[in-house]
Amino acid sequence: MFERFTTDARGVVIGAVEHASRAGSPVVTEEHLLLALLDREGGKAAFALTSLGVTDRRAEVVEALAAARRRGGMSKADEDALAGLGISVEEIVARVEETHGPGALAGTERGKAWPSGRPSFTKGSKKVLEKSLRMALARKQKHIGDEHLLLALAAMPGMAGEVLAEFGGTYGGVERVLFGVGG
Amino acid sequence: MTEATDLAARAGDRDPRVGLRAVAALRRLLEQLESVQVRSARNQGWSWQEIAAELGVSRQAVHKKHGRN
Repeated sequence: MFERFTTDARGVVIGAVEHASRAGSPVVTEEHLLLALLDREGGKAAFALTSLGVTDRRAEVVEALAAARRRGGMSKADEDALAGLGISVEEIVARVEETHGPGALAGTERGKAWPSGRPSFTKGSKKVLEKSLRMALARKQKHIGDEHLLLALAAMPGMAGEVLAEFGGTYGGVERVLFGVGG
Repeated sequence: MTEATDLAARAGDRDPRVGLRAVAALRRLLEQLESVQVRSARNQGWSWQEIAAELGVSRQAVHKKHGRN
């Protein structure tokens, strides 16, 4: 599958690994893929993210990701859904942190680094890579570009995709700016 | 009556998506809380057996799930 990746797409994968390493994370998550996508310049993913106004709000995206991580990977939509049941995630986080220290609910992403110390991809981030192949195939494109990675990330449930959507990078939005209405 | 309608409005949402989403989020929150509590118990020297008993699951189950740390 990786032989089908364009230089841009490989750049995203490498960038995600670097983000994970820099953060001291043993695993590469979808969040690291999103950060790597936001780093791109000049490619199709960069074009889409800039057109949708996400690139300009990079700092806010980073902040939203950190906040979601602190809530144990809970997105804004999850938080709203739980509020509908009368459960305040913010309050739970505050109490847990009171007892167990700041960031207690964060950073429980499962997985281990490779013996070499290189971070490994989580199930979720592997799914994004796999889905990017399907995104390309569905459009009869032979190569997997960084835009397919972006589409895959936007299409997946989970924290990174939801934060992306919160800032305008919805699946429909990405598809529209890349391929026109209706993909 | 008002209480009933209020309740209906809140739990509401005939749209199953809202309810399902809340369940999924709750499950995720539960997993996070469990992992925080298990880690804390281990740090305080609890055995897997003791932790399993409190959680109402088998020792094997709790060890398999949390044993890596």
